[in-house]
Amino acid sequence: MRVMRYIGKRMLFIGPQLFGITLVSFFLVKLIPGDPAVMMLGPLATEATLEELRNEMGLNLSLPEQFFIYIKNLVLHGDLGTSWQTTRPVTEDLFLRMPATLELITLGLFLGLLIGVPLGVGAAYLKRGVLAKFSDYYGLLAGALPDFWLALVLIFFFYTILGWVPPPLGRLDFFTIAPPTVTGALLIDSLLDGNWAALGSAAGHLILPVVTLGLISGGPILKMTQSTMDRMLESDYSRYEEMCGLPKSIIIRHALRNSLPSVVTIVSVLYGFLIGGAVLVEIVFSWGGAGQYAVQGVLNADINPVLGFVFFAAVLSLIIYLIVDLIYFAIDPRVRG
Amino acid sequence: MAENSDTGTILNIEGLNVSYPVYETDPVRALRGIDLKVREGEIIGLVGESGSGKTTLARSIMQLISRPGRVDSGRIEYDGRDLAALNEEELRALRGNDIAMVIPNPRTELNPLVTVGMQIANVARYHLSLPRKEAKKMALAMLEAVQIPDPTRRFGAYPHELSGGMAQRVVMAIALICSPRFIISDDATSGLDVTVQTQVLELLQDLVHQQGASMLFITRDIGITAHYCHQVAIIYAGEIVELAPTQNFFDNPQHPYSVMLLSAFSHNPKLRGLWTKVADALPESAAQSGCYFAARCVRASDKCRSEHPDMRGTGSGHGVRCHHPVER
Repeated sequence: MRVMRYIGKRMLFIGPQLFGITLVSFFLVKLIPGDPAVMMLGPLATEATLEELRNEMGLNLSLPEQFFIYIKNLVLHGDLGTSWQTTRPVTEDLFLRMPATLELITLGLFLGLLIGVPLGVGAAYLKRGVLAKFSDYYGLLAGALPDFWLALVLIFFFYTILGWVPPPLGRLDFFTIAPPTVTGALLIDSLLDGNWAALGSAAGHLILPVVTLGLISGGPILKMTQSTMDRMLESDYSRYEEMCGLPKSIIIRHALRNSLPSVVTIVSVLYGFLIGGAVLVEIVFSWGGAGQYAVQGVLNADINPVLGFVFFAAVLSLIIYLIVDLIYFAIDPRVRG
Repeated sequence: MAENSDTGTILNIEGLNVSYPVYETDPVRALRGIDLKVREGEIIGLVGESGSGKTTLARSIMQLISRPGRVDSGRIEYDGRDLAALNEEELRALRGNDIAMVIPNPRTELNPLVTVGMQIANVARYHLSLPRKEAKKMALAMLEAVQIPDPTRRFGAYPHELSGGMAQRVVMAIALICSPRFIISDDATSGLDVTVQTQVLELLQDLVHQQGASMLFITRDIGITAHYCHQVAIIYAGEIVELAPTQNFFDNPQHPYSVMLLSAFSHNPKLRGLWTKVADALPESAAQSGCYFAARCVRASDKCRSEHPDMRGTGSGHGVRCHHPVER
C-alpha cells in the first residue's frame, strides 16, 4: 500500500521533471552554432531556397515559439520531429536504436556485477590476500583504460588473431535474417521468434562489446562493493554476530545484504551514464545504438535526434531511479517503516 | 565457599595484560595484571569508569579484542581450557554458546536488516545444529521467556521497530538461548531508564540463576552491584583495585577510589567533596612508578607516588590494592 502511494507520488513529478529537462536541453542545443538549412541543401543552394526551407522548418520563428510548437507536438502526438539525415521521425528511429543500446549496457552492467561484487566481497574479507591485491590493480586499470581502446584490443585478439568472434560490424551477420521487432532486444526477439540462427549471431556479436563494458564498469562496482563491505564487516552488528559465534559465511552474507543499497546505487548511476556514455563502444562496434545516433545529430546540426535522445534518456533515467527506489523498499525495512 | 579451592571455578584470569599500540608513542595499557576468578553460579560485578578497561576485559574473554589491541601476557582459562590455545573454529563454538555476551547498545548492534526473531533463531540454529523450524520455535519460546509482550508479532519485527527496553530483552534472549554457562553483561542496561532497568536486571538475574550460569556483570553504576552480585570488583586504569564479597564491600569499602565511587551517590556535597579530588597531574605520567590512582587520591602520600601497591588480603575474601586502605 505504501509502495503504491509512493509510486503515485513519484508519477506526479515525472511530468514537470520531463518538461524542465526538455526546456533546458532545447535552449542549450539551439545554442550550438550551425544552420540546418545549409547542411541539408549543401553549399550550392541559393539564398532564396535556403530562406524558403528555413521558413518551412520554422527556423525563423522566435525560440520560445519554436519551443512551444515542439512541446505541443511532443505532448499531443508523441512527435519529436524528423531527422533530416535519416528522413524518418526521431521517435521511430529511437524506438529502433534505444533497445540496441539498452540490451548492450544491461548485459554489460550485469557482467560488471558478476565481476565486481564477488571480487569486492573477497577483497574486503581477505584484506591481505592475493585477491585483494588483484582487485586493487583491476580497479585501477578499469578506471584508467579508455573503453574504446579496450574494445579495440579485444577485437584485435579475439577477432583478428583468434577469429573466435564475428567481425565488429553491427548486431547481426549480414546474411542473418533479423527476427520481427517486438522488444527491440535481439536476444529476446529471436528467442520469441524461435530463430536460433539469429539468436546465435546476436549473441556472438554481443560478446565483445558486453565484455568491454563489463570489464570497465566492473571497476567502480568492485570499489563500491569493497569499501562498503569493509565498513559493514567492521560494523557493530558484524562484531556482535562474531561475538555470538555465528559462522563466517553468515556474517559475510549479512554484511553483503547491508551493502546492497550502495551497490544498487552505483549500478543505477552507471546505467544512466552509459545510455549516452557507451557511445564510443557503439562506434567501435558499429552498433547503431542511440548514443551513436545522437552524436551524428550533434555533428550535423541535426537537432531533433539530439533533443529526442535527451528526452528518451531522461525518461529512462527517471524509470531507473524509480526502480532503484523500489529495490531500496524491498531490501531495507527501515525505508519501508 | 572455599576461597582458594579451584573446584567449581569456571573462569580463571591470571596476570592478564592487554595493550593498544599507539602510533609513534608508547602503547596504551588497557589491562594491567588482571587476576579474577569466577566460580560456578556466581555473579561478579565489575565496576569502573569509562576507559578503565571493562569492555576490553569482556572482549579479551571472548578472544575478540578490537584491533590493534593485543594480549601481552597472562592467560584466561575457561572451564580448565586455555582460551588463547583454541583455534578459530573452537572459539566460534564457544562464543554465544558457552560464553555469551549481553551488549549495551542493542539497537545499533543488532543487524538492521534481519528480523529479531531470526537473529535469535540463528544463534540456536548454528550452535545447536537445529533445523530452521526448530530454531524458530525455540526463539519464540525465548521471546516469551524474556517477557516481551506479544512475542509472535515481535518475532517478525526489525530492530528499529523496538523500544530500547524491548531491544535489550531481545539481546538477552540471544545471549541465553543456548543456555550458556558463562554470561558477560557489558553495561547492558546503561541506556535504559531506571524503572525499565530494574525490570530487565531482575529478569536477567532470574534467568541466569535458573540456568545455573555464572556472570561477569560489568557496570558503571556501583549501586546496581549491591542487589545483583555475589562479589564486587573495582577496576581503575586497567587494574583491579578492590575485590570483595558484596556484603563486605558495602560494609567496609577499603580503597579510596571505591569510597569515592560510593560517595558520588551521596546527596551530601560535603561527603562528596571529601573524597573527590581533581587530578593534580596526568594520571598516566604520575602513575608510572607509583599507584595509578595517586594523582586523584585524597589520601595519597609520597609512598603512593613512588611505590606501586600490591593486592593484599584483609580477611574474609576481601582484597585491596592500596598503601593506606580506608578503615571503618
